[in-house]
Amino acid sequence: MSRTIEASEEPAMRQVPEAGSISSAAAQRRKARRMSWLLLSPGVLWMTLFLVLPMLMVLYVSFWTQTTFTVEPKLTTASWVRFLTSPTYLDALWTTVRIWLLVLASTLVVGYPVALFIGLLVRNKTLQTVLLVLCVIPFWTSFLIRVLAWRPMLGTQGAINMILMKLGIISHPLEMLLFSELSVLIGMTQIYCVFMVGPITFMLSRIDPNVIEAARDLGAGFWRIFRTIILPLSMPGVVVGAIFVSVMVLGEFATAAALSGRKTNMLGNIIVSQVGSLKWAFAAVAGVILTLLMGVVIAGLLKVVNLRKEL
Amino acid sequence: MTVVLTLNDVSKTYGGKPAVSGIDLAIAGDSYVSVLGASGSGKTTLLRLIAGFEEPETGSIVFEGERIDGTPAHERGIGFVFQNFALFPHLDVAGNIAFGLVNRRRDPVRDKAELDRRVAEVIRLVGLTGLERRGVSQISGGQRQRVALARTLVTRPRLVLLDEPLGALDAHLRARMRDELRQIRRSLGVTFLHVTGSETEALTMGDRLIVLDDGRIGQFAAPATVYAAPASPAVARYLNAYNLIRGSRSGASFVSALGPLPLAASGDARSASSNPPPSAPSGTSSNLGPAAADGVYAIRHDRIEVRAPESVPGADEIMVPARFVASEYGGASMLSFFALDTGQIVEVEEHLSRGMPLSLVPNSRYGLAWKRDAAIVYA
Repeated sequence: MSRTIEASEEPAMRQVPEAGSISSAAAQRRKARRMSWLLLSPGVLWMTLFLVLPMLMVLYVSFWTQTTFTVEPKLTTASWVRFLTSPTYLDALWTTVRIWLLVLASTLVVGYPVALFIGLLVRNKTLQTVLLVLCVIPFWTSFLIRVLAWRPMLGTQGAINMILMKLGIISHPLEMLLFSELSVLIGMTQIYCVFMVGPITFMLSRIDPNVIEAARDLGAGFWRIFRTIILPLSMPGVVVGAIFVSVMVLGEFATAAALSGRKTNMLGNIIVSQVGSLKWAFAAVAGVILTLLMGVVIAGLLKVVNLRKEL
Repeated sequence: MTVVLTLNDVSKTYGGKPAVSGIDLAIAGDSYVSVLGASGSGKTTLLRLIAGFEEPETGSIVFEGERIDGTPAHERGIGFVFQNFALFPHLDVAGNIAFGLVNRRRDPVRDKAELDRRVAEVIRLVGLTGLERRGVSQISGGQRQRVALARTLVTRPRLVLLDEPLGALDAHLRARMRDELRQIRRSLGVTFLHVTGSETEALTMGDRLIVLDDGRIGQFAAPATVYAAPASPAVARYLNAYNLIRGSRSGASFVSALGPLPLAASGDARSASSNPPPSAPSGTSSNLGPAAADGVYAIRHDRIEVRAPESVPGADEIMVPARFVASEYGGASMLSFFALDTGQIVEVEEHLSRGMPLSLVPNSRYGLAWKRDAAIVYA
């Protein structure tokens, strides 16, 4: 039989009459594509309806005209101008940034050693889990109680002042402990610390103990190993933790309201009060600025470490 | 021969269970010593004690004339190559190799030119030229192995501990690295202490071979000596080259469940008592289970000949009947499994270069014959 006949016969034999003329590989690809759309669609639908559209709407409303009790869809930059020229609001923006940076630093300072202990020194997985759960125990109480519980702790007649006075360290109660920026920082550090501890612990516990032993064997002391091996390998955890803390602190208003005696105003507090007095356009401006700020912060943090390598 | 490392009565337990007990050892400088042992025989613990990752509970470790137990690992100056390589995942090949020189507490290399020169030198030695800037996840297993070795060798330790260094490599690479490890060691004149669970690796690599048995040293001798005359049944078992038959010596024969096995005339008997002292009743018999009779008769796989069942053994030979079970073709040799009448499986290795062996029919009966003086008796 000649080759040409063979060649012409082959496609005819492959043809499946019913299922169309696609190969099984193409069918498999098509099925996989259909599956991924099926998996994605609820999330995409949800995010479009309740995240993307509202965000666009907020941006749109920020250009509406605000009268005393109503907003009209007449485009103006009045609200933007007012925000960007008012010292009160710029001050709130600065307060937000300052508190964010301070809380980020304090959660890192408090959280990293804890993570180091749980992730590196405790090598028993069960004990690690138990310790992490212990870190989360404060979350078994409601947010409001967790925040308000600081008042009897930090107040002029609170626990800390009483103990310090009993010990004779101070003669007058410290006023700065409560209803100050310090109390806001203390409260936020306590609430958000665990979000720093978790990701760092995870990264640290993934470090092969042999790698640290290898560094020791090559002659490096503890601090050298920490600086050259442990810290770089835990950076993805630090970045993820920082993103968690940043997103939550930047949008905060409740802790500031409850523990500062309304003296500390963050962008979140501005939004709450503006919405309360029906100043929708102005609240939208603050919202857009807050969102932009978060976007910049997250983009900056993601620049620090290539998270793609860790997935 | 200068002794570089000495262990005196070193013991370590884990949760009450001894991992190594009463190890006495003297390792010569400029030598390749392999350590053979089953998993759980304490071989990794032994290395970790020497490296300083663990501290011994009793005894002392002396390295180059200085007592080092109690000294932290990073001040001992002993190299360690990990089984999983344990490379620094965030550093490239050159960064991994330079780590020790840059970061060691004692005498770090600060001069960039000196550093580059020494890193380049060791990269050439282990054959990694051109891969300096690759990440360690972008290179093959064999290359990672070389990085792990280079990282240690660049610090010029006098002693390098290798914990199953070839375990993670495929068979072809393993054979090549065996050869390279020996060459590299010879060119540097350092001492390698190479732990392995593979008897072939242990026999081929070492100038001297330590067989670890249940946390103790079962035998420490040249590989050929260990192979030809294992000091105890446990050592013979680790070599995976001996059939061991339990029983007891009674006059001129060895009495086992198979019946009496006549021994060679006392003069030329290869009885273990004339070879390295069989001072082995310590922990060795535990490997053979609770022995009623704690004598053992050992006959090497390749010393047995398969014959027709009706053939008559020579005057200096022993022949026992057995049922053929199965065989494995191994290229140069054929490994056949026979069941004795006691149910015990006996392995017979026939070298195919000596001519094709008898073609064997499963479940048929054959005679297994060996010279009386080929057996080693521990009793």
